[in-house]
Amino acid sequence: MPSLLRNRKFRSATLQVLFVLAVMVILVSAVTTAQDTIATNGMRSGFGFLDRTTGVNIGFSVLQYDANSTYRQLILVGLVNTAILGILGIILAHIVGLVVAAMAISRNGSLNLVAQGYVELFRSIPLILQALFWYALVTHLPAPRNAHEPLPGLFLTGRGIFMPGLSVTGEAVALVLGCLLLGAIAFAWFMIDHRFRRISDSRRRTGRLVIIGLTLLACALALNAGRVPDMPLISVPELRGLNFRGGFALPPELTALAIAIAIYGGAYVSEILRAGFQAVPRGQLEAAAALGLRPLHVFTRVHLPMAFRAVLPTLTNQCVWMFKATTLGIAVGYSDLFYVISISITQSGQTLELIGILMLGFLVMNNMISFLLNRLNKAIALKGT
Amino acid sequence: MTDTAIQIRRMNKFYGSFQVLRDINLTVRKGERIVICGPSGSGKSTLIRCINRLEDHQDGSINVLGTELNEDVGSIDLIRREVGMVFQHFNLFPHLTVLENCTLAPMLVRRFSRAEAERVAREYLERVRIPEKADAFPSELSGGQQQRVAIARALCMRPEILLFDEPTSALDPEMINEVLDVMRELAMDGMTMVCVTHEMGFARQVADRVIFMSNGEIVEENTPEAFFTNPRNERTRGFLAKILAH
Amino acid sequence: MTDMTHPIPRNSRLEQLRHRFLRTPLDIAVTAASLLLALFVGWKLLDWAVLSAVWTSPDGLSQPCRDASGACWAVIEARWRLILFGVFPYAEQWRAAVATAALILAGGLSCLPLFWSVIRQALLWIAAFALFMVFMHGGVFGLSSVPPAQWGGLALTLFFFVAVVIVGMPLSICLALMRRSDLPVIRGTAIILIDGVRALPLVTILFTAALILPFVLPGWLQGDKIWRVIAGFALFFAAYQAEVLRSGIQALPRGQEEAAKALGMGYFHRITRVVLPQAFRNALPPTINQLVITLMETSLIVIIGFFDLMASGNAAYGTGEWSFAYVEVYAFIALIYGVFVFSLSRYGRYLERRLRVGSS
Ligand SMILES: Nc1ncnc2c1ncn2[C@@H]1O[C@H](COP(=O)(O)OP(=O)(O)OP(=O)(O)O)[C@@H](O)[C@H]1O
Ligand SMILES: [Mg+2]
Repeated sequence: MPSLLRNRKFRSATLQVLFVLAVMVILVSAVTTAQDTIATNGMRSGFGFLDRTTGVNIGFSVLQYDANSTYRQLILVGLVNTAILGILGIILAHIVGLVVAAMAISRNGSLNLVAQGYVELFRSIPLILQALFWYALVTHLPAPRNAHEPLPGLFLTGRGIFMPGLSVTGEAVALVLGCLLLGAIAFAWFMIDHRFRRISDSRRRTGRLVIIGLTLLACALALNAGRVPDMPLISVPELRGLNFRGGFALPPELTALAIAIAIYGGAYVSEILRAGFQAVPRGQLEAAAALGLRPLHVFTRVHLPMAFRAVLPTLTNQCVWMFKATTLGIAVGYSDLFYVISISITQSGQTLELIGILMLGFLVMNNMISFLLNRLNKAIALKGT
Repeated sequence: MTDTAIQIRRMNKFYGSFQVLRDINLTVRKGERIVICGPSGSGKSTLIRCINRLEDHQDGSINVLGTELNEDVGSIDLIRREVGMVFQHFNLFPHLTVLENCTLAPMLVRRFSRAEAERVAREYLERVRIPEKADAFPSELSGGQQQRVAIARALCMRPEILLFDEPTSALDPEMINEVLDVMRELAMDGMTMVCVTHEMGFARQVADRVIFMSNGEIVEENTPEAFFTNPRNERTRGFLAKILAH
Repeated sequence: MTDMTHPIPRNSRLEQLRHRFLRTPLDIAVTAASLLLALFVGWKLLDWAVLSAVWTSPDGLSQPCRDASGACWAVIEARWRLILFGVFPYAEQWRAAVATAALILAGGLSCLPLFWSVIRQALLWIAAFALFMVFMHGGVFGLSSVPPAQWGGLALTLFFFVAVVIVGMPLSICLALMRRSDLPVIRGTAIILIDGVRALPLVTILFTAALILPFVLPGWLQGDKIWRVIAGFALFFAAYQAEVLRSGIQALPRGQEEAAKALGMGYFHRITRVVLPQAFRNALPPTINQLVITLMETSLIVIIGFFDLMASGNAAYGTGEWSFAYVEVYAFIALIYGVFVFSLSRYGRYLERRLRVGSS
């Protein structure tokens, strides 16, 4: 027996069994306690509530929603809103980050200083504070009747930013955004994957045209299906009474959050990219210069692609982080997934189920982002390293 | 149309307060093969990097193929197009295939069509004897193969002058010869070459002139025979004794 | 062009600056434009924040501000106690001040090389934490008891931060070690836990801790909401910090642990004497970074109903009297966060330099 106790295999097996038992005990006791609590409080569990009407109104929604809609619809609204804000924020943050990183690595000292100041400033203020600040700023814009009009047809007001738009339903807009995203992913895949690198130029061109064509066709179909009858296709916002009617309105909540994520996330993205740029060996840049490539081409053909490869895993984490940052919506009243879940909880009392849905939603969305970007990473990874 | 390829006059270069190159005078005619040698840190790399303006000089003048090197961006573009360079550590672009490494600059700088650029690239890959690796990535090649690709990449721009900065010193002995063979053939074809190398056999066979540098100065400049058999300078003798002792 | 006959001395700083800022005509233009922009913004800021600002308002009313064009710092004068201490009983707020000072002092002390050992750090923080609880919570030494529900402002934010790190740091070490364990079950559990938590937004975890834990925990384990939320937050912190530590461990040459094994050291000694000390050293810069992020993320507890610095700021300008002064209040709060974040990250840079010198 002592010899068995001193056996490594036996020890590790026992340890694992004990560990599993402990975890099971905790889980089982948690579940029974939960059942007890639910029973004593006389609550009902299950997902039947999803088909009940909510009876609450929310602010911004791309999809059709009113107080008579069901919880299922409400949650869908939240998912779509989260996706819109997340993708918008991620794209904007990368644009900001690229510009700032380019300034940080430029040879010009004053640009370096500007970039450094930007990063230091915006990285040391909590995101929620920045979001609240932008929200306060955006809602303190003048009332619609005194709106700023920087460009004809574009109105900046405390009730949102109004611009000319297509008169189509929100569902069609969401569908179009989805098609564009899919098209962009397909396009990037086609351009980058090693598999398509060896085929001839003319076939590549056809391939590109096919992808663009299909995307545009899908968008056109979606728009056509979603047209609001009896309205001109393009509608321009006009002042009617106290507010604007028609056109496309960017609500202040979305504007403020998108600005905040773009600026705060952009500061982090720029630091990541800067590290990537600096990780590219000098020799490779010199080789490109020695071949006669112009600085712009050295940047776009050698420096940027290599830096991007070096930092893509870090950028992936940053994208997931920014996507999670959409949960700040509740601080300014943007109806993202977290917001709709929390009002559903107050409204229906189905805490366990709703939080389950919330977590599942984020697990799925974030793993989708990681999955796509990891695929991208594999596709462009340097061979043999 | 003169036959001068490179003319350097009274050139000085500093890193901060540290003077790396002192009063360099050097003229290279077209078709000439120059070998530069000298102890580590003597400024050999710096000198040839000044020729294609990877480094800028502070005083004196450098004239390459009739173009004066100055702050004018146009002159830099012009020179870099006509002057190829091969590095000690190859510096191939790891994210591009061998073929793409070779076609990138011709397409962007010389505005070749892709077909034309690929034709030229395959031709030169043939010359450096690795046509079969066109679709491989640099990390899939041995050091000697990588260096030969780097030479092909430089040749694809059809340069008038080729600069080599210790092209064999990062290679294992058995790979050195495959690279030197390619360089010998290039020399035979009349390419203007400036090589920093310590391969004394190569220098003896190929060079028209050998230049010895020490402490940022050109100490001795001579034909290979005279350089190896009868070095004039004390420092040259010391250096040769050390390097030929192996 | 330069005079070709005389080499000019190039070592002057002026020369270097000229090279960085004024090398080509384009550089000159960019530098000039940046300078003009900086001057313009700087002047506007100075004018707003200092020259035309209203610093005090004698009767605590906002009228003087409404007439001025600059910043209204009078709102801070009128509301600073709300911002710093939230709804802590007004007469007892000196206690919150002492408690906060204890935490800040401990933070400062723990940066001194004198305290650079695990034991001393632990003792220091336990002492600071005890002091904080005595003054803040009271109920002993004749101090009246103030339950956590009445804590707020900067005091609550710092408390949260310190508590999360004190609980989360040991947890992160456990998770990091579990994640590199040879036993598949333990490693698998750690991976699921770490990756699962990292895929979820912090607010959902805080929300879960506040709302779900009461369902699944037996009554005697539930405690006040604040402790549950701290536990959830600490788990979140630990999941990220575990990855930081793991990368620090991975940066160690394999030979280190093998050498320790060859010397006959057991697991515990290998980890505590060889692996962790070096891993912490490797992981110090990203750890500081993680602390900075965590400090800023404590602002999210406002979402689940705590009256932290962020919330008390909102309350400070939330009344009709001061509702126009949101920029000033936000600037003040940003300044408070900024001071902490800035000193932490400066300290991180200093550590990075110092450690690099020491190790190579
Ligand atoms: N970027 C730089 N900043 C400061 N000093 C430099 C820099 N690059 C090179 N030097 C210095 O300039 C001198 C010449 O360097 P260079 O690289 O030209 O020598 P080298 O003759 O090529 O030596 P090796 O045979 O080792 O390659 C050396 O003393 C080096 O320390
Ligand atoms: Mg050298």
